[in-house]
Amino acid sequence: MTDPNTNTAKTTEPTAADPAAPADPAAPAFAVRDLWKVFGPKADRIPGDPAHQALSTAELREKTGCTAAVRDVSFDVRRGEVFVVMGLSGSGKSTLVRTLTRLIEPTSGSIAMDGEDVLGMDKNRLRELRRRQTAMVFQHFGLLPHRSVLDNVAYGLEIQGVGKAERRAKAQEIVEKVGLAGMEERRPTQLSGGQQQRVGLARALAVDPEVLLFDEPFSALDPLIRRDMQEEVIRLHREEGRTMVFITHDLSEALRLGDRIMLMRDGAIVQLGTPEEIVANPADEYVRDFVRDVPREQVISVRRAMRPADAAESGSGKELAPDTLVVDAIEAVASSGEPCRVVEDGRTLGIVDHERLLAVVAGIDGTLADTEAVTV
Amino acid sequence: MSAAPTETPVTETPVLDKQPDTTPGGGQSDAAAAVKGVPSRGPGLRARFAGSPKALIVGMALLFAIVTAAVTGNGTWPGGLEVDVKTPLTDLTDWLSLNRTTHPVFLYFLLHISNFAETAYLSLVDLFAAMGWLGVTVVVTLVAWAAAGADLSRRALRTGAIALGALALCGVLQMWEPTMETLSLMTVAVIASAVIGLLLGLASGLSDRCERVLRPVFDVMQIMPAFAYLLPLMLIFGIGQPPALIATVIYAVPPMARLTSLGLRAADPAALEASVSLGATGRQQLLTARLPLARKQMMLGLNQTIMMCLSMVVLASLIGAGGLGDRIYRAMATKDMGMALTAGISVVLIAVLLDRSTAAAGEQLQERVSQVATRAALLLRRGVWLLALVLFVVFALFGTALGQEAWPEAWSVDLTTGIQQGVDWITRELSFMANWSDAFARGVLNPVRSGLIAVPWWALLLLVAAVGWAVGTWRAAMTGVLCLALIGALGLWDASMDTLSQVFAGLALTVLVGVLIGVLAARVPTIERVLRPVLDVMQTMPQFVYLIPVIGLIGQGRAVGVFAAVIYAAPAVIRITTESLKQVDPTVLEASRSLGDTTSQQLFKVQLPLARKGLLVGVNQGVVLVLSMVVIGGMVGGGALGYQVVYGLSKQNLAIGLPAGAAIVCLGLMLDRLSQPREKHGGR
Repeated sequence: MTDPNTNTAKTTEPTAADPAAPADPAAPAFAVRDLWKVFGPKADRIPGDPAHQALSTAELREKTGCTAAVRDVSFDVRRGEVFVVMGLSGSGKSTLVRTLTRLIEPTSGSIAMDGEDVLGMDKNRLRELRRRQTAMVFQHFGLLPHRSVLDNVAYGLEIQGVGKAERRAKAQEIVEKVGLAGMEERRPTQLSGGQQQRVGLARALAVDPEVLLFDEPFSALDPLIRRDMQEEVIRLHREEGRTMVFITHDLSEALRLGDRIMLMRDGAIVQLGTPEEIVANPADEYVRDFVRDVPREQVISVRRAMRPADAAESGSGKELAPDTLVVDAIEAVASSGEPCRVVEDGRTLGIVDHERLLAVVAGIDGTLADTEAVTV
Repeated sequence: MSAAPTETPVTETPVLDKQPDTTPGGGQSDAAAAVKGVPSRGPGLRARFAGSPKALIVGMALLFAIVTAAVTGNGTWPGGLEVDVKTPLTDLTDWLSLNRTTHPVFLYFLLHISNFAETAYLSLVDLFAAMGWLGVTVVVTLVAWAAAGADLSRRALRTGAIALGALALCGVLQMWEPTMETLSLMTVAVIASAVIGLLLGLASGLSDRCERVLRPVFDVMQIMPAFAYLLPLMLIFGIGQPPALIATVIYAVPPMARLTSLGLRAADPAALEASVSLGATGRQQLLTARLPLARKQMMLGLNQTIMMCLSMVVLASLIGAGGLGDRIYRAMATKDMGMALTAGISVVLIAVLLDRSTAAAGEQLQERVSQVATRAALLLRRGVWLLALVLFVVFALFGTALGQEAWPEAWSVDLTTGIQQGVDWITRELSFMANWSDAFARGVLNPVRSGLIAVPWWALLLLVAAVGWAVGTWRAAMTGVLCLALIGALGLWDASMDTLSQVFAGLALTVLVGVLIGVLAARVPTIERVLRPVLDVMQTMPQFVYLIPVIGLIGQGRAVGVFAAVIYAAPAVIRITTESLKQVDPTVLEASRSLGDTTSQQLFKVQLPLARKGLLVGVNQGVVLVLSMVVIGGMVGGGALGYQVVYGLSKQNLAIGLPAGAAIVCLGLMLDRLSQPREKHGGR
């Protein structure tokens, strides 16, 4: 569905500043190619065999007794972006994120972090990578119940061998950053689910990793708490610009957080693109079904909604940036009572009027948008 | 598909247990039972047989056994198939007694263990003597209080009070010296079992290969009656504390090892994964995550290990362990019920003391997980421990100067004569109880025994195979048949059938009593509340102690072991029944209530069927517990295999005792496998 080569080409764009200086600044945070993870007897034979590759997951299980959790997946995670992997349960997304640091050993393919081959690392190098370059936040928190909040946050530093005073000072700083000040001496069992996950987040942040990996971190939380936590992640990302790989089964969460979203189904990639691309331009019926209930005006920008301006219009009307969301454009058009211009660098790109904006809300802009999407 | 075949055979198992009841000794009534019994079950049973081949096979094997029993009348194991084990065992006994002091295996290995055990024991006895009664009481009370949290909470104060009260009562009852001996034995045994159990638990918790090797060993050890350990150890180490201590350690290691392994394996996978994802090495993960997460289970294991140590230390008086058990043993031999009961009460007091202190320590540790102690409380706790240590040293050095070595004579009461008079009154006035027990032996035990002996050995083997296959797997059937055949080959067929008849009678009573009370407790909260502390105490009491009240009431005889076994095994069955009934999904119960079910409909159509698995576990536990008690009944007139072991122990006769011990283990294995629901195997 997705061509990894176009992604690779894009990664040469300048990216946000990295907290940890990588070995190869030009390389993507993660570059994954042809990755397979097959569970079952003699799993090795599956990836190389075209006959097996053609089978669906169910057929494969029936024929070979093997389950392909990740099937021939290739993608790049760019520096500083929030890369969301989204899919229903059983789609292989949790397995995929664990193969990145080899918590689950992949069956075949290649993974490079900052250009360095992860699968070729020996035990010590791999441990070093887990200690300093990545950190993970888990769905079920994985906190140690016999330790205080502060000692849980300092746990990663303790593993690294940092002295007690130093790691506690660092942990204190992070505890305050995630809004848990005053709870340092409590035990995890005394905290609410949201607070526990804040501890999990703080534990990951404390080791100052280059990449944060989130495995459905907010699925177990109440909707309101979940919203708070999502805002927390957005805030952290805005402040620090850390690369994040975020696994979720919740589409609205994916759309809120993701710079780019990778949709998975049965272990394979269905579509990879920005939230707007996925909502406006679903790759197939499956994705279309998925995004049916998304409030499109809150995802699609005027760049996609506009029509070409004719000469008379290009001089008048309120100016909008191309990234303006349709929902905001509706407000502008309604308040001014006339069509608005989409302007970039002083140049008028097109016009949005009642008709175009309503078409987005009604979901009948597809045919028009498709042709324009190519130019984006 | 999968549920149907398991269901029918399992409901048929009780038929096996009741089978001997319906086959009285006489030949013609056997036939009558066979003719009357089966068709009267009606078409329901027949339909069920037709639907399930396994039930059909068990039914046919049962019918075959009854018919052949009626035809042949006597089906004991043929002498030609017996293996002579007596001669080599007698030779071995002779060789052991000749070489015990000279052979290198003894000189360089076993003797060291034995000497170490003896030295440790003797120095502890000396230490307690040096501390004096005052020192021991003060330090033990302080330690119990500190272990329970060292604060003014109800739990800590209660634990300290229990420790103080238990020790003081032992002194008042004039049992101070044997109590100190038992405590010395306990200290050595508990430390050794805890350390060995911890190491084995670590090995099997961390390595799958170790787990595969150790698990079946622990499984078998768990069902081995305590009795079976004593004789071989006595022959190797002679009589005295060393064999008693070693038998105790071997007996008490499994719970610690099992629960440590379980705790290590059951640790929250998310926490372990988090630890790996942060780059922890194997050792870091073990020390920072796995072991702390397993702490609760390990405390539970320690508690069980301590209670098993006590049970065995008391029982090991048969091979010269000394202490309270020895007082009971001697008192029973001379029928001095006053002395036996007084010593028995002291044992129970020690059991309560140990159980409450370790349980309180466990709860306290758990609590520390949920709340962080204030700085002052932490300091206080440390201070109390330090004080206990200082007092310990002071008393160890100057104890006898501060108080006498033993409990002061003036503060004690002699209850023995009073109790003896009470027992005499019981035997005089309540002689109907003894008569009842005689009637039970004649009316129930005898017919069951003759029924079992009447069944030809090959028919019984076939029945065991059929039941084993139907209830569990072909492996269970194989184990059962092999065990039974081994019993026959050892020449102990008749004695084993005798023991088996006692087990069946005991099991039937236990399940009846246990399930009835268990159902009541599950339905009436008041009964459960009253019952809980009673069951707590009963489950911590050493086996040996159960015999005393039964003897006091009905004197010695064959029924004594059976009744003691019922009292011993019923608490476990009650517990399991109550628990499994209460674990039935409440929404299902609610649904049944909303459909207007009556109480009995609820019980028989919903609760009991849904709790089936738990009830089967209860029966399995009951079998193992009943057997281990029934053989101890051999000491007080129970006869059968238990008596042969006792005889072998008292006469140091390996040729009599060892085969009987082996037969007990075989019976235990067979009964366990035949009553073990298949799910338990599948889960492994």
